[in-house]
Amino acid sequence: MLKVDHASVYFRTRDGRTVHALDRVSLDIPDNSFVVALGASGCGKSTLLNAIAGFLPLSSGTITLDGRPVMRPGADRGVVFQKDTLLPWKSVVDNVALGLQFTGTPKAQRRTRAEELLFLVGLKDFAKAFPYELSGGMRQRVGIARALAADPDVLLMDEPFGALDSLTREQMQELLVSIWKTTGKRIFFITHSIEEALFLGTQLVVMSPRPGRIVARFELDFVREFARTGDARSIKMAPEFASLREEIRTILHGSDEIRSAAE
Amino acid sequence: MSNVIETTGVVVRAETDQPKTVEMNGFGVGERNTLVISFATAVALIGTWWLIARLGLVPRLFLPTPQEVATQLGAVYRDGYAGASLGEHISASLFRIATAAAIAIAAGIPIGLLMGLNRWAKGIFDTPIEFYWPLPPLAYLPLMIIWLGIGETSKVTLLVLAMFAPICLSAQAGVRALPIERVNAARSLGARPWQLLVSIVLPSALPEILTGIRIALGVGWGTLVAAELIASNRGIGYMIMSASQFLATDVVFVGIGIIAACAFAFSAAVRLLEATLVPWKGKS
Repeated sequence: MLKVDHASVYFRTRDGRTVHALDRVSLDIPDNSFVVALGASGCGKSTLLNAIAGFLPLSSGTITLDGRPVMRPGADRGVVFQKDTLLPWKSVVDNVALGLQFTGTPKAQRRTRAEELLFLVGLKDFAKAFPYELSGGMRQRVGIARALAADPDVLLMDEPFGALDSLTREQMQELLVSIWKTTGKRIFFITHSIEEALFLGTQLVVMSPRPGRIVARFELDFVREFARTGDARSIKMAPEFASLREEIRTILHGSDEIRSAAE
Repeated sequence: MSNVIETTGVVVRAETDQPKTVEMNGFGVGERNTLVISFATAVALIGTWWLIARLGLVPRLFLPTPQEVATQLGAVYRDGYAGASLGEHISASLFRIATAAAIAIAAGIPIGLLMGLNRWAKGIFDTPIEFYWPLPPLAYLPLMIIWLGIGETSKVTLLVLAMFAPICLSAQAGVRALPIERVNAARSLGARPWQLLVSIVLPSALPEILTGIRIALGVGWGTLVAAELIASNRGIGYMIMSASQFLATDVVFVGIGIIAACAFAFSAAVRLLEATLVPWKGKS
């Protein structure tokens, strides 16, 4: 269980003001879950992910992974970034094997493992290619494979499909669900797309800015249904899906109005 | 009038069956080859030189013809000049440059990386480097000779000082250009500080470092001649200096030509190194 308990973050801006980026956020990411954080930009969702990843210390509150407090980045939490962060001087297979290289796994063994993962993300023919030869969607798939290679306890994904076109994005969502199903990894996923959030999450938290906080939580079943049936279209066409989408849209806009009324 | 507009794909086949290939318009020079242009320029320059000398626009003493320089090169190669063979002059200069480059690279890269990574290192090394780096090497050459004598040590030290700064500063710039996401990605894959330095920081800074080495080699050849002007009996710079004292303009030309050729070869070697080590430069 990954447990975020009353996590608060304050930043100091360049001109000396204090910004309340995250306000007492509590969140559990149980085994086999797919937790999605949804919100407009500036709602603190990336701050939350950075804190879980260990890139950012908390002002107050705690984050624990299976009981161990999170202090710094580590291989137990794999991260997939919005901007691809592949190493341009390494081939695709060596990029995937990077985490294994850090743990000192022998070369032949990490090659084998990396090739398995490339097969999983559908890139087995691109092992020897270099990142600059790949499209945006393919690079993100390499990024996912790389994060999985270190066999993390949880996968943290920071708007990984945000820069992709909508067709590729849907393909990537379906690929991600199949990876989630195959590997059984816990996933914490950030997005600003309501549809993506509804389709992917077993648990959805809606966040609102200034200060960044959780304003609503939903338990969802669409992703399990998709994992079972493989039919994305009928799920997204379903009336429950549409009504939830409208409900969340109201929440997001509502928190907007509350804020502007307060100002 | 029809309601349906039918479009048919038209396949245009050229006689050769080879489609015309196109590629993205780049910006700047990019990867396009400049060899032919450079070669033509060299030919044009030598042609101009030959023409000016041939027409007698300038007295022979000041500007020998290309043929005279070529003949002189042969003579110097056969008989040597100023008490040493041509090979000895060249190898003396090359030894100094190579030794100094090796020392400057070995010290400049780690110190530059450290300065990019650590506040203390930056604060400490910034002061002496910013102080001495803008000084012309000839200004502190007398000090080198007084402190270190007239042997190889003072010359190599002078060269090391001249070559160290560009390498060190470029390594530092390389670290500063490193995106934080790349570091965070490596950390979340379990990289320890040492692995971060070797696997992420150094390769990321490599393009800048290689540019710095190229600049350093240029500065090095410039400084070398200055170093050899004083208190030496071997080296291309020394050869040029003693020739100028006898107004042997053709030998001066031979010396300049050899330095240019050596500097060009060094620069080409670094470019080759760039092509092998950082083929991804500017592509990510």
